[in-house]
Amino acid sequence: MDIKFKVRQPYLLMIYRIITLSLIGTIIGIVVALLAQVFLRTVRWMNDILLVSPSTRIQFDDELLILISATILVPTIGGLIVGLIFQYLVKAKRSLGPPDTILMVQTDSSGESMRSGIMSTIAATISLGVGASVGQYGPLVYLGTIVGAALGKLQISISNLQSICIASGVAAAIAAAFNAPIAGLVFAHEVILRHYSMQAFAPTAVAAAVAYTIVDIILEQPLLFSVQFEGVQYPYEYVFFGILGILCAFLAIAFAKGIMIATAHVQKSNIPIFVRPMIAGFILGIVAIKIPDVLGIGSTTLRFATIDHAFEVNELALILIAKFAVTILCISFGFAGGVFSPILLIGILFGALYESIIDLVVPLAITSVVPYAICGMMAAASPVIGAPLATILIVFELTHSYDLTIASMVAVVFSNLVAYRIFGRSMYDAQLFNRGFDLSLGRSHALAIYKKVSEIAHENFLALSPDENIGEAIDKLETGFHQTGIVVDEDDTFLGLVTLEKASDFDSDQPIDVAYESVPLTFSEETNVAQAVEACRFFNVDIVPVVESENQRLLGVVWPYDVMRTYLLNERRLQAEEHETL
Amino acid sequence: MKLSNRIFSISFLFLLTVQAYAQDSRTLTVSSWGGAYEEAQSEAYFQPFVSFNGIIINLEPYSGGVASLKPSEENGSVLFDVIDMTESDAKEACDLGLLTRFDHAMVAPSAENEDAEDDFIEDSLFECGVAHLEYATVIGYNDRAFKDEKPSSVHDIFDIERFPGKRALRREPKGILEWALLSYGVPVNQVYDLLSTERGLRLVSRRLNQIRDHIVWWDSGDEPIKMLESGEVVMAVGFNGRFFDAIVNQNLPLSIIYEGPLLEFGVWGVSKFSKQQENAKKFINYATSTKRMAVFSSLIPYSPTRQSAWSRIGLHQGSNISMIKHMPNEQGGYRNEIRIDSDWYAQTRSIRQHWFDRWLAGES
Repeated sequence: MDIKFKVRQPYLLMIYRIITLSLIGTIIGIVVALLAQVFLRTVRWMNDILLVSPSTRIQFDDELLILISATILVPTIGGLIVGLIFQYLVKAKRSLGPPDTILMVQTDSSGESMRSGIMSTIAATISLGVGASVGQYGPLVYLGTIVGAALGKLQISISNLQSICIASGVAAAIAAAFNAPIAGLVFAHEVILRHYSMQAFAPTAVAAAVAYTIVDIILEQPLLFSVQFEGVQYPYEYVFFGILGILCAFLAIAFAKGIMIATAHVQKSNIPIFVRPMIAGFILGIVAIKIPDVLGIGSTTLRFATIDHAFEVNELALILIAKFAVTILCISFGFAGGVFSPILLIGILFGALYESIIDLVVPLAITSVVPYAICGMMAAASPVIGAPLATILIVFELTHSYDLTIASMVAVVFSNLVAYRIFGRSMYDAQLFNRGFDLSLGRSHALAIYKKVSEIAHENFLALSPDENIGEAIDKLETGFHQTGIVVDEDDTFLGLVTLEKASDFDSDQPIDVAYESVPLTFSEETNVAQAVEACRFFNVDIVPVVESENQRLLGVVWPYDVMRTYLLNERRLQAEEHETL
Repeated sequence: MKLSNRIFSISFLFLLTVQAYAQDSRTLTVSSWGGAYEEAQSEAYFQPFVSFNGIIINLEPYSGGVASLKPSEENGSVLFDVIDMTESDAKEACDLGLLTRFDHAMVAPSAENEDAEDDFIEDSLFECGVAHLEYATVIGYNDRAFKDEKPSSVHDIFDIERFPGKRALRREPKGILEWALLSYGVPVNQVYDLLSTERGLRLVSRRLNQIRDHIVWWDSGDEPIKMLESGEVVMAVGFNGRFFDAIVNQNLPLSIIYEGPLLEFGVWGVSKFSKQQENAKKFINYATSTKRMAVFSSLIPYSPTRQSAWSRIGLHQGSNISMIKHMPNEQGGYRNEIRIDSDWYAQTRSIRQHWFDRWLAGES
């Protein structure tokens, strides 16, 4: 009976996992798709009633006073509400988005509280509803994260459950937002998980497919854009697409750098958090009086960009610059939202502008604005979010055009090559780098850098007082079977190390400080595990004090064993996660 | 059988009674679009209804809109008791309180006794009326005007170089808007979003400017066929049923462009100010029965709104051709159909009119 049970158990376990994870994927897919719909429809409804949508703005064309008042007041008051939410209701005091998701998954941590997540999502809904120039996909990704994290807390004996659930939530969110399940699946792996284990792949695919089925087939959500395209007519145009990709890389870098630099400046400023989005809203409103295309995610402008000659060249350039500037303004001043929608619009406008210039300058026939606009859109967006595969797939799933997908692929590849060399993988990664999580050398290294030695420091050591003499110190060391004692004063300030070996060289009535060892190695609260591993390689020590750099207060001690153990456990966790099957 | 509405109103059934009942409570005034459409309605609805109920039908010409539905300021009387209107006009009239709210329970069940609400196609029962057909506004052309290449896409109506000659367009900001955007390659499902913007209307203006000097406007539904027949124009916008009548019944050398038909419901509504509420409902109940709808669609290719009527559509009288194959849908060979967004039309009447007036004045 025993033998039989052992043989059957793995199969039973496998069946249990398959059923459970499929069920979890389905639930996440349904919940996220419905919540995403609520989010998107609320934003659309707000846009309509608050005169953000072009279709409602045009109805007030003859009532300029109402139109101008609404254009300025709506984002200004909306900004104030968003600012107040961040000031008082979100612990992080900022919008939560994909970088927070990545951090939660990669570090297997719980991240921000559920309350902060919900409040941030509400702030994003308001921001987008009042027409702030921010993206809707970042908040949707975080919405998927909230749902995934909630289910990830279940105690159901499945390893890596939180990261699987969050990845499923993100995949469902992208699938629901773009009607693109494959792109959702790939995005979750490419941007969030950073690996392709079968254990995560299956429920993520289920969640994406379920979410897509709900929004596309049941709720009949219209596509973000759809174009009629007969194919690239001239082979030399692929060269133009490649050049466009390179130019878009610089556009993407300028966009990402602009946001990060502006955000850093605003955060250093004395402007209160609750006032910041209001200022951005006011300036946005002023700009929108002249250029209403800058309001919201600009889906109508996005669609026009794929129509030949819908814009004049100077009009394109003006909207492009305005959108670029107000997006940096809105995000850096604290409106809640993502970066993907704005860079999609900026990219598509840039692509259309590029096509207009090519058409004017180059004495060669070109197909139409469509491939240039789409290439521009994806080539600019993909390096910002670090998802070249997912963006290529979005094109394929939205247009069902193989030609457009290939054209986009050329532009996206060149764009990512250039942007990666100059800027790094993505804006998300750059933001995480600023928070101390550097993914540029891989997940293992990132974790080792992110983990601080102070987190693993402990108090399993012998504390000695500077008032004690050598005899008392030796007594304590021998009684406790310690080789080393740590001398700290009454304020826990680290004073020195005393080893039994060295203390034995002195008379017992001598003060303890005569026996202080030279301290070859101390760690501070900033020291991370990667640095600690490196340091331990060069110093033959059996205990390392961890002290606050400012006042030398002792935070604890670590043994080299602790450091290596932490490093290896992280390694093992990542390996197990990446190779886990159902 | 060539009957005008006037001739019909003095047809044999009425000869004995029309004078006596002219202003009687048993006279129901129904709006009329004239031409082949009215003839088919006469045969399918009006004559049998009069025979069956003994209620006289008086036809009054109507060419769309809601202005003619308002009661007279002098005595509060109205032109029509029952109005056969486009879906967008019906919605606007309903919003303006010009139509009686409709109790869908009064619509007859299907021939198989299925509830009307189950039998009617989706969205065809309105707050103030009931859709009785679906028609298409299409682009037709005189086949003899183009010896070699024939127009085949919506874009061709704007292409004066390839297809020179005058075009007959309806004098209203409807239909041509959608086609203008379609000609830029805008997918059907995005047309109304883009038309809701100044930039969208600017694109329409640009397209129309290409044919500004080649447009002949029409107001009444039978005019485009006459213009094509007389050679006054080479292409014309018109209703699919009228083109069918011209091609099949009148043997005119006309053809239809099968891309981008604009589909819209025809809706029966009852004037809120009519004193013939009961008779009006009785008529609508009769005219929307499965059998009457099927008879009507066998005369002119406008799709019935009852599913039960589809299986009863027969061959066209006279030509014996299958009418199913001429309905304004995929079965009729159409592609890229645009379903008229009547809500959008009801909401944008003044904007569209403003734009249209400016364009006519050469200001946009």
